[in-house]
Amino acid sequence: MTTPLTLTARSRPDGTPLLKAVGEIDMSNTDALAAALDATAGPLVIDLTEVDYLDSAGLSVLFAHADRLELIAGPLLTPVLTISGLADLTTTRGPDV
Amino acid sequence: MGTEGARDRPAPAADVFSADAEVGKDLATVDWATHPLGPPADWPQSLRTAVSILLSSRFSMWMAWGPELTFFCNSAYRRDTLGSKYPWALGRPASEVWAEIWDDIGPRIDTVLSTGEATWDQALLLFVQRSGYPEESYHTFSYSPLRDDNGHVVGMLCVVSEDTERVIGERRMATLRDLGSDPSVVRTEEEMLAFSGRQLSGNLADLPFTLTYLFEDDGSARLANAAGIGAGHPAAPAKLPTGGAEGAWPVAAPALGESALVPLDAELFTELPTGRWPAPPTQALVVPLLQQGGSPYGFLVAGLNQHRPLDDAYRGFVELVAGHIAAGIASARSYRAQQQRAEELAELDRAKTTFFSNISHEFRTPLTLIMGPLEELRGRLAQSDPQVQQELEVIHRNGLRLGKLVNTLLDFSRIEAGRMQATYEPADLAAVTSELASVFRSAIDRAGLDFIVDCPPLDEPVYIDRSMWEKVMLNLLSNALKFTFDGSIAVVVRAANGEAVVTVRDTGIGVPAEEMPRLFERFHRIENARSRSNEGSGIGLALVQELVNLHGGAISARSTEGEGTSFSIRLPFGAAHLSSDALTPQAGTSAAPVHASPYVQEALRWLPGGQRGASTVDTIDGEPVTGPGIAARVLIADDNADMREYLSRLLAGAGYEVRAVNDGLDALDAIRAQAPDLVVSDVMMPRLDGLALVAALRTDPRTAAVPVLLLSARAGQEASIEGLQAGADDYLVKPFAAAELLARVRANVELARLRNHHARWRTALVDSLQEAFFVCDQDGAVIEINTAFTDILGYGPENLPYPSMHPWWPDADTDPEAHRQVADAFAGLLDQNKGSYTIPVTHRDGHRLWISATFNPAQDPDSGRTVTVGTFRDATADHYAIQRDSALASLSTCLTQAEDLPQALSAALAELKELWRATSVLAVVFDRGDTPTLTATEPGLTWQQLPAERRQALTDLCERPLLAPTLDSAGAGIILEHPDGPMALWVDLGDQRPFSSEDQLLLSLLAGHLAQGLTRAHQIDQQREIALVLQRAILGPSQLPEGFAVRYEPATRPLEVGGDWYDTVSLPDGRIGIVVGDCVGRGLEAATVMGQLRSACRALLLQDASPARTLMALDHFAAGVPGAMCTTVFCGVLNPDTGRLTYSSAGHPPGILAHPDGTTVLLDGGRYAPLAVRPGTARPEAACDVPARATLLLYTDGLVERRRRPLTSGIDQAGEAVQAGRDSAVDDLATQVMERLAPAGGYDDDVALLLYRHPAPLEMTFPAESEQLAPVRKALRSWLDQCDLPPRTVQNVLVAAGEACANAIEHGHRHNPGEPIRLRAEALVDDLHLSVVDSGNWKPPQPELNAHRGRGVTLMRAMMQQVTITPSPAGTTVGMHTRIV
Repeated sequence: MTTPLTLTARSRPDGTPLLKAVGEIDMSNTDALAAALDATAGPLVIDLTEVDYLDSAGLSVLFAHADRLELIAGPLLTPVLTISGLADLTTTRGPDV
Repeated sequence: MGTEGARDRPAPAADVFSADAEVGKDLATVDWATHPLGPPADWPQSLRTAVSILLSSRFSMWMAWGPELTFFCNSAYRRDTLGSKYPWALGRPASEVWAEIWDDIGPRIDTVLSTGEATWDQALLLFVQRSGYPEESYHTFSYSPLRDDNGHVVGMLCVVSEDTERVIGERRMATLRDLGSDPSVVRTEEEMLAFSGRQLSGNLADLPFTLTYLFEDDGSARLANAAGIGAGHPAAPAKLPTGGAEGAWPVAAPALGESALVPLDAELFTELPTGRWPAPPTQALVVPLLQQGGSPYGFLVAGLNQHRPLDDAYRGFVELVAGHIAAGIASARSYRAQQQRAEELAELDRAKTTFFSNISHEFRTPLTLIMGPLEELRGRLAQSDPQVQQELEVIHRNGLRLGKLVNTLLDFSRIEAGRMQATYEPADLAAVTSELASVFRSAIDRAGLDFIVDCPPLDEPVYIDRSMWEKVMLNLLSNALKFTFDGSIAVVVRAANGEAVVTVRDTGIGVPAEEMPRLFERFHRIENARSRSNEGSGIGLALVQELVNLHGGAISARSTEGEGTSFSIRLPFGAAHLSSDALTPQAGTSAAPVHASPYVQEALRWLPGGQRGASTVDTIDGEPVTGPGIAARVLIADDNADMREYLSRLLAGAGYEVRAVNDGLDALDAIRAQAPDLVVSDVMMPRLDGLALVAALRTDPRTAAVPVLLLSARAGQEASIEGLQAGADDYLVKPFAAAELLARVRANVELARLRNHHARWRTALVDSLQEAFFVCDQDGAVIEINTAFTDILGYGPENLPYPSMHPWWPDADTDPEAHRQVADAFAGLLDQNKGSYTIPVTHRDGHRLWISATFNPAQDPDSGRTVTVGTFRDATADHYAIQRDSALASLSTCLTQAEDLPQALSAALAELKELWRATSVLAVVFDRGDTPTLTATEPGLTWQQLPAERRQALTDLCERPLLAPTLDSAGAGIILEHPDGPMALWVDLGDQRPFSSEDQLLLSLLAGHLAQGLTRAHQIDQQREIALVLQRAILGPSQLPEGFAVRYEPATRPLEVGGDWYDTVSLPDGRIGIVVGDCVGRGLEAATVMGQLRSACRALLLQDASPARTLMALDHFAAGVPGAMCTTVFCGVLNPDTGRLTYSSAGHPPGILAHPDGTTVLLDGGRYAPLAVRPGTARPEAACDVPARATLLLYTDGLVERRRRPLTSGIDQAGEAVQAGRDSAVDDLATQVMERLAPAGGYDDDVALLLYRHPAPLEMTFPAESEQLAPVRKALRSWLDQCDLPPRTVQNVLVAAGEACANAIEHGHRHNPGEPIRLRAEALVDDLHLSVVDSGNWKPPQPELNAHRGRGVTLMRAMMQQVTITPSPAGTTVGMHTRIV
């Protein structure tokens, strides 16, 4: 059984593409994440607010696109992003209140 | 049960009697079918084992078995002991077989049967009826118990060796030894016979009575001694007439040197003494007392022991006794003759002394008459035959010497008698002295010495007696020349302190300081001084001193050894000190000294040019030749050439083979090269004198017997005693007559031959002893042995002497213990000369012997030295019998003490190894497995590690009959029955050590014993195992749910159960029933009650998961179980997910709940009375929640209840113990609590303890697939929620665990997806432990290629407090933990 993950592609009001992930990301479903990322070009905002779990396999997919990503993440994921160094390479902010 | 195993397999030896064809066949013909023991096929294993050991042994053995003590024996016993009772005895009751000695042996057998302890009897006297009469016999035997398969003593085994020969031999030996003891006190024939009689009375066993008769000149015989019988007895008449037909004893036969056997049935033999026995002798042996080369002295009548046959040994003994008495008579008679001769000689000596002292002046006339004509003859025959001249020279010189000696002796006797007629005249001392000195000049020149004469004239005259002064000076000069070999001699005259001083100084050998005080003593001579001649009487200086004293002067000497001697004479001037009667006016004569010639002549003879040529040997015409019957060799030792020539001529003329040497040393060499029949030696010789020569000869065993005849010029008793004491055989004083010398020489040669005859007789006597006999010298070297010695040790007389360490000592390297024992005994021999030891020795062919040796000091009659005389016998059989007994005893002990079969086997192997000091001992059981089971004295050794040839040899052993030892170069093996199959036992001796037949017997006995012991141990093992299985079955569940830990400690060992119990029951709804209970009492009885209650409680819980209702139902149940009343029970039901616990307590101590915050709560609700106290009454129920990471402790009162202490303090202590173990896993915590609460001496009551920590650890195993990650995470998250952790910690743990699992999937099992991965998580109170285990190998970390993997490990380390990754060939373990804050 693949870990449940829903990826929804949208555009932000300013036209920037936005990818919203809901569920958990681990090595069993990183291919789907990679495919969704590869499907876009240019700057991309990824909303991880509703992701409960992100492991190093998922991080490695994000690292591959770090230079064009902006991350939105809740406090649950902050330690992982900070410790891995991804937060330093991307713009990371909390969810809009 | 034990025989079942045996019945499963056919007995390896088809027939129990097959071990011995002959006795086995006769045993088989016993009608066993009607016998109480039944047919052999039905015999128990133990009896069959015993019978096969018995039959296969070559040691004499018998056994008794069963209620009738049925008799069995082997062929050795049949041969040695049973005699004509065979085969009648087989299968009969032992009491019937040995009816005649049953009074002796019956009680011993009873002891063995009733106590199970072995008996040991050494040399027990038994009268056995095996040869048609009650025979005196001695037996050394051990009765040891025989046990049946159940370990009960039902019979006994007797290993016996018959000692009859030894005991009787020793008894006879002792009598012979006593007869020969201390002959020095025996002086006369009567004393000797009385002494013998006393010794013979000491052995009334072999000699119930003895009579000694001596022949009178008329052929009749007179009673000289009676022992064991009154002298007035009709059988002991004082006189026996010639011919003796009508007398009590035959006289004619012994007179002809023949023995006679006399039946004691005549009337005068009634009421004979019985000796040591109940009945009188029936026969007597009459033995002659033989005389060497003559008719018998008499005869010995010996009453005979009717309990022994008159065999060769008995007859020989009586003959040896007679021989002793005969030798005693010979020695007493010879002593008497010698004494008479000695008295005559002493009388002669006294007469001689008187003669010499009174009439020696009479010599002067004949001497003058000889010397006068001799001078004439010399002048007349100056031109004639050189031989005549030579002989005249000899006569002349010796005439002068004799004259000088006679004069000196006369001077002395005059001085002593105060009759010295001195005439003092005033003289020019310097002139007189230098004139006397000049006489010696030529002799001193010839000796190559400087001669200094420094005699300036003195101012005053000195009064001297001229002839006396001559003697003074000539003696001093002669002395100086004799002892000076190079340098100078000086004569100096001076005046000093109003006196004239004359000094004679030499550079000779000097006088030792200790000799100085005796220098002027009469007849004193300095021993061993190097000199030109040893001729001299030792009176020269004494005379000088006497003469000087007569002059009113004094003489003194100074000397340094090796430098020279100086004599100073001080004479007063004038005549005031002299009697005026003796003074005469100066005569003024200056004639040549009157007495100088003998001195100078003698001195010249010492010098090289003065010696004679080779001795010529001629027969002396006119001498009656009284030579020896057979050619005999005589060695002559004399430093005087004339004497040598004279003796040589004399003896050669008498037909002796003569050889002559110059001194003692040369003589010693010549004798050692070839021992002569007689040595004729002068006493005084340079280098080695005659006395020293005798001493040297006597100390060397090779020459100790060479007879020596000493010649000496020293007359008198003292001198001759000195010579004889030194060991000389005879002593002859010069001058002697040629006839006397020849007679003495002949007598000594013949006596020596006679003595050798005695020596041969003595050798034959010693050789006839059954015991080994030896003589040691003071250094411990063995110098004499007999044939028994050679028989026992293998070392013969050809290599004598055997210096220590003797070749039969055990090797110090290979057998240090045995070597030490011998060394100790030998030290005893050297220190005390006496003692008794049993020691191991090595036979010449290498085999081990044990000997019992006894030795005592003795004086060697020839040399007078102390030697050690010893005897020993072969005690090997005794030694091994004792060894067998103690080996069986210690094997039994170790078999009894073992707790189970493997321990019994190991202990037995260790015992065997110790016994034989083996390198190792193996036991291989060929059970049903592929590989035989090996037990060895070396721990850890396996069958595969054994060399292939050893494995093969052990396998081959199985083909051998049971209990039959097999030997090879490295050790010994034997096959025996083990409960699991045949067992090969192997004793590895390592170093080619011999394994004797005694060892084989012992091995076979021990193996039989071991087989029985193992069977018993096996039965006990089985029973214990059954008991353990049963106990464990009633104790509690073998599998506990996660999170629980239990401990159980029964108060009663070796039981593993008691009245306390714990239980957990998995209920159908996922909840867990928990029960801890305590029945009244302890031990097996309480355990059976407990088992029933436990099962009932379990069933009730499964039916209705309510603790209260369960206990109520249990009330009713317990009421019907005896002993169950008042049992206390804690019964609870736990929801492991929520921690909800409902419980009810039947009078049980409260449970303890330790919260993670450090507080402790007692579960004291839901309480009512113990079980069955009020059956039917409703019980209350309570509930509580077990918080996350709290610990629940349930227990029985044995954990907390202590004398003189409230229960609550024990409960508090238990709570503290749980709190103290916050950092421990729950199983470790259980151990800690038990240890912490244990009283000093251990628990004295049953203790049950149950611990639960909430939640239970999480254990998951899942296949290595990435799809598993989400469900694993879900389960982990849910468990973490149960642990009540902060959300941040939960997320950290999830990420770290997720990374570890992903690693395991991706790397550990990248080639084998689907392999299992195990995750375990456990919450302690303040700590959380996690582990992920896979069975694969991780890639070596390569961060540049796997950036995100490196990131994974980084993440784990960041999320957890500690991460360890432990790779191993079997897989990789990731361990992590974090503190719970």
